[in-house]
Amino acid sequence: MNDRNRHPDNNRPRRGPSGAGSEGPSDGRLVEVHSQLSRDKDEPSEGFSLTPIFIVFLFCGFGFWAGLYLTQNSGNFAPSAFDLNAPKASLAGGPVAFEPDAAKGQTLFLANCAACHQATGLGVPGAFPPLVKSIWVTGSEDRLIKAILAGFAGEIEVNGVKYNGNMPNIGAGLKDSQVAHIATYIRQAWGNAAEPVMDTKVAEVRKAIGNRAQYVPADLLKEHPLETK
Amino acid sequence: MTQENRSGRPQGRPPEGDSRLTRTEVQLRGPFLLFFISSVIWLLAASVLGVIAALQQGSLAGGPFRDCEILTYGHVAAAQHNLFVYGWGFNAFFALNLWLLSQLGRFELRNGWLATLGGAVWNLALTYGVVQIFAGNQTGFGLLEFPREVGPVLAVAFLLAGFWPIVAFARRPTGHSFASQWFVVAASFAFPLTYLLAQLLILWQPASGVVQTIAHSWFVSNLLLLWFGASALAAVYYFLPKVLGRTISGYYLAPVAFWSFVLFAGWTGPAALIGAPVPLWLQSVGVVAAAMLIIPVIITAINFHGMLSTEGGWSRAWNDTTLRFVSFGAVAFTLFGALNAVFAFRGYNAVVRFTSFAAGQEQLLTYAFATMVLFGAAYYVLPRLTGSRWPSAKLVHVHFWATALGVVASIVALLVGGWQEGKQLAVASIKLADVVRAGSSWNYVLSVSAVLLLIGHVAFALNAFGMILKSSAPASAGRHD
Amino acid sequence: MKNLNSLLAGIFLAVAFPFGVLVISSQVQLGSLGPAPAEEGGPLFPSREPGLAIQGRAVYVSLGCVSCHTQQVRPAGQGSDIARGYGVRASVARDYVQQKPVLLGERRIGPDLANYGARAKDLNAVHAAIRHDGQFAFLYAGAKQEAATERAIALAAYLQSLRQDYSSPEAKLKQ
Repeated sequence: MNDRNRHPDNNRPRRGPSGAGSEGPSDGRLVEVHSQLSRDKDEPSEGFSLTPIFIVFLFCGFGFWAGLYLTQNSGNFAPSAFDLNAPKASLAGGPVAFEPDAAKGQTLFLANCAACHQATGLGVPGAFPPLVKSIWVTGSEDRLIKAILAGFAGEIEVNGVKYNGNMPNIGAGLKDSQVAHIATYIRQAWGNAAEPVMDTKVAEVRKAIGNRAQYVPADLLKEHPLETK
Repeated sequence: MTQENRSGRPQGRPPEGDSRLTRTEVQLRGPFLLFFISSVIWLLAASVLGVIAALQQGSLAGGPFRDCEILTYGHVAAAQHNLFVYGWGFNAFFALNLWLLSQLGRFELRNGWLATLGGAVWNLALTYGVVQIFAGNQTGFGLLEFPREVGPVLAVAFLLAGFWPIVAFARRPTGHSFASQWFVVAASFAFPLTYLLAQLLILWQPASGVVQTIAHSWFVSNLLLLWFGASALAAVYYFLPKVLGRTISGYYLAPVAFWSFVLFAGWTGPAALIGAPVPLWLQSVGVVAAAMLIIPVIITAINFHGMLSTEGGWSRAWNDTTLRFVSFGAVAFTLFGALNAVFAFRGYNAVVRFTSFAAGQEQLLTYAFATMVLFGAAYYVLPRLTGSRWPSAKLVHVHFWATALGVVASIVALLVGGWQEGKQLAVASIKLADVVRAGSSWNYVLSVSAVLLLIGHVAFALNAFGMILKSSAPASAGRHD
Repeated sequence: MKNLNSLLAGIFLAVAFPFGVLVISSQVQLGSLGPAPAEEGGPLFPSREPGLAIQGRAVYVSLGCVSCHTQQVRPAGQGSDIARGYGVRASVARDYVQQKPVLLGERRIGPDLANYGARAKDLNAVHAAIRHDGQFAFLYAGAKQEAATERAIALAAYLQSLRQDYSSPEAKLKQ
C-alpha cells in the first residue's frame, strides 16, 4: 500500500536542515493525493486489512457501552437527582426521596401485625405485649427493625409485665420501605412520639443481620440495651 | 545530540530570494506577522505572570507578593490564563489557520486590512480586559473573566480576524479537500457561536442558578477542544505528511476522526461537573462523551504515529525542528485523550476533583499539544514568509529543551501532585493545611518549570523577532513578483 | 465534506445540539427552581441574601477568590466533603437560585465555603480567615478587627451568609 501512496517527489533528496528547510510535496499535490486515498479505500491493494473491521467493532462496543452507562447512571433524567448513591428511583416519578408514611404504615400494620398486637396496639394481656408506650417500639431504631426483620423467641419484659414472646420474622417478607412505614406508624400512633424510620436504615440493618434466625431477647438486648426513661 | 548539532544546521533554510514567496504568501504576510508578533508578546507576558502565580500558589500568605492587591493570586492566575488562551492561543492560531488554509486552497487574501483591523481590535480589547482583571473587575467565570463589555468586541474582532480560513476554504480551486481544512473550518466556525451563546447566557442574560455553571462548562470544553484541539490537529495533519514527505497512514479513517471529534467534543463539558449540584444525567452525558472522545484520539494516533513509526519516521522527526515540536504535540494529544477518558469516570474523578489534576489535563492539551505544534509551525512558516534564516541555532535548542522539559515537569507536577493531593483529601482526618504542606515540593517543581518555560519563550521570541527585524529592513523593495 | 455548506451544517449541528440538550434543557429543568419549604408550611430556603452580603459577593468575585475556593459539597461517597465538615449534606441546585453569579469553583487550594457561615465561630474568626496570614492585609487599615475596611466588612457578611444547613425538598437533613 505504501508504495502506491508514496508521493512521486518523495525520492528527492530532502535532508532538510531543521527549522523549516524541508520542502515537502506541494500543497496542491498533498491535498490531491490524500483525497485519492480516501476515495480508494474500498479496493485495498494488498490483501485484506483487519484494522477497519477491528475499529468498527470497537466503536460499536463503545456505542453499546455508552447507552448502557447512560441508562444506568442518569437518575431517570430527573432534575432533582444529584447523587448516584441516593435511594433508587421508584419507577413512576424518578428518585423521589423516601417519605415514611404513617397512613401506609397503618394499612400494612393492620394486615401484618394487628392479629397479635391488635389494631389498638395494646396487645393481648398475658399473651402478646403492647406497642403503646413500649420502649421496645419508641427506643432504638436498630432494635425495633431487628425485631421486625428477624423476630425473637423467649421471655421479654414490657412495661413491667413479663411475656413469653414469640415474634415471627414478619419483616423478612416485606420490602424495606414497607418495614419503614410500619415502624414509623407504630412509633407515632397511639400517643407514641418517636422519630420516623427511613427505608435506608431498614436496608442497612437487613444487610447487617442477613438472613438470620429469630433472636433470643437477651442477645438482642446485648446489642441494643433498653434505654432508661 | 544529533547531526543537526554537528553540522550546526538548525538555522532555517537559506535565504532563497523573494521569488520563492507565492502570491498567496505575499498577500497574507502582513496580517500573519501582526498576529504572530502579538501572540509572542502575549506569550511572554503570560509566562511572566505564570512565574508569579507559581510562586504564590500554595502559600497561604501569598508568597513574595503578600499584601499586594494587584498581584493577588486571584488576579494573576486569571490574567495569566486569559493571556495564554486569548493572547497567545488565539493570535497564533489566527496566523497559522490563515496561512494553512490559504496554502491549501491557494487563496489570495485581498482584504488583508480587514484581518489586520480584526487583529488590532482583538488585541486592544484583550489589553483592556486584562487591565480590568488586575483592577479587580472580573466576572468569576474561568476564561470569561473579562468584564462583559469585552465579549462582543472580541466576537466582532474574531469575525474580522479569524473567519478568513472559511473564506479560503470556500474559494479553493479544486473540489478536493484535506483533513486540515475540515478541522480549521470547524474551529473557525464553532468558536464564535460558542462564545456568543456563552456570553449571552452567563454574563448578559444570566441563566438561573447552576445553569450558569452548566453553560460555562459547555463553553470551556468547546473552547479547549474545538479551538485549541481542532486547530492544532489541523496543523499536525498538515505538517507531518508535508515535512516527512509521506502520506498519512490510514488516511481513509480521517473523516471518521473529524466527525467523531466534532460530534463528541461539544458534549464533554459536564464531565467537569461530577459531584456538583447539577442533575445526574448531565454528569453522565459528560462522562460518556469524554470516554467516546477516545475514538478520534485512537484514529489520530493511527494516522500520526503510524506515519512516524515507519521507515525511521521518528528519527527523521527528531532531526527536523518543525517535526520535533509537532510530533511532541502529537504524542501529547494521544496522552491527553487517554487521560481525559479514564479520568472522566466517577471513581477516578472523585479522587482528583478540585485538585491540580484538571489544570494538568488542560496544560497537556493547550501547551504540550497545541503550543508545541504552534512552535513547530512557526519554525516552518516564518522562514518562508520572511525569507531569512533563524538567527541562532543555539536559541532553537534552548527553546526546545526549556519548553519540553518545562512542560513535562509542570504536567507531571500537576497530575501526580493532584493525584496525591486527592488521595489525601479523601481521608477526612488529614487536615487541609497538612495536605497543602505535603504538596509544597510539587509547588517547587511548578515554580522551576514556570521559569523554564519563560526561558524557552524568551529564546523563541529573541530568535523570531531577530529574524523578522532582519528581513523587514530591506523588505519593502523587491518582495512582489 | 467537499461541500462547504454540508460541512458548516454538520459543525453547526455539532455545536447547537449539545447546547440545546445540555444547556437549554437544564434551563427548562432547573430554570424555574425557587426558594421552597422542605415541608409544607415551613420556612422558604434558600433565604434572600442580606444587602451587605451581595456587596461582599462582589468583593469575592473581584479578588478572584473563586480560583482557590469552591462552594459545593459533594454527596457522601465522593471525596470526603461531608466527613471533612464542609457541609452537613450534599449541595443541590436549589441552594444556588438566589446567587448571582453562581461561584461553584473548580479548585480547592483553600477550604470549601458552601456552608462557611454555619461553621464560622464568630466575626473575629471570619476576619482572621479573610486576612490569610497577611496576604489580604490590604483589606484592613490596621492590625485590629475594627480596622476592617468597608470591603472586608462586606466580604465577612457575605461569608457569614453562606449556609447550606437547612432542609430543602431535594435534600432533607437527618433530624
